[in-house]
Amino acid sequence: MAASSIPSLFSFFTPSKPPSAPTKAQPCHLTISSSATTTKNGWTPLVSSSNEIQPNTLSLSSSCSSDVMSVVCPSFVHANTLFFRSAYNVQVIVDENEPEEKLLGRFRREVMRAGVIQECKRRRFFENKQDEKKRKTREAAKRNRRRRPQARNFTQDRQETTKNKKEEEEDNWDLPEGNIPY
Amino acid sequence: MAKAIPRIGSRRNGRIGSRKSARRIPKGVIHVQASFNNTIVTVTDVRGRVVSWSSVGTCGFKGTRRGTPFAAQTAAANAIRTVVDQGMQRVEVMIKSLGLGRDAALRAIHEVVYY
Repeated sequence: MAASSIPSLFSFFTPSKPPSAPTKAQPCHLTISSSATTTKNGWTPLVSSSNEIQPNTLSLSSSCSSDVMSVVCPSFVHANTLFFRSAYNVQVIVDENEPEEKLLGRFRREVMRAGVIQECKRRRFFENKQDEKKRKTREAAKRNRRRRPQARNFTQDRQETTKNKKEEEEDNWDLPEGNIPY
Repeated sequence: MAKAIPRIGSRRNGRIGSRKSARRIPKGVIHVQASFNNTIVTVTDVRGRVVSWSSVGTCGFKGTRRGTPFAAQTAAANAIRTVVDQGMQRVEVMIKSLGLGRDAALRAIHEVVYY
């Protein structure tokens, strides 16, 4: 089954062929894509499909990378083509009989993870260079703060131990040999 | 003006498109544009050719009430009503813009689809 789905998946990416409807009769199937666009600029395509899911179509900023829902199932083979080609950032695939609240919660969480809402707010009004710099440093700090502490601890310990040993050898507590000038 | 989709067919096929007004589409796309003052719901086929659309303004709301989530709900329900009989089996929902109508439209679509 998996083997048969792969060639059909590739066939979808050829632009000349229109996507064919799935042969099995399935109950209504929903996939939801969300894009972030500002009201001012209209639609700026964001990231194109980089990973399996989600090309960030909606947002243009590089900070919004789409995370792909890792749902790989032969029946969903046809579901992703639209998402890949269009400029949408988030994709949520709906299972059958999924309760509404759960679906909405999942959708909202994915959107938040993709940073779509932040990006929208930022693009609503003009931002001069000063503000832009401040924002970038803040974002960089946030990003580094999460990853650094773990890596730092390891390297720092090692450095400290080696340093201590070296210092003990080079310590100059004894007076230099020879006559002191004074 | 029909959507310009490049076709390499013979000239005989040129006019057939307009005759298929009640075409059966098993798979469709619902575009929801949820801006702050309005919500527009458009139902198209997979290639993007519009089947029907509805917006909060056409549902009778005016002014500030157009931006509310309840209005988005009615607009979505209205848009789908025309397509429900056409036997759509799979729908992809594409939501654009930040607005209050995002979740509300999604919920309305889900309700119509599953109940």
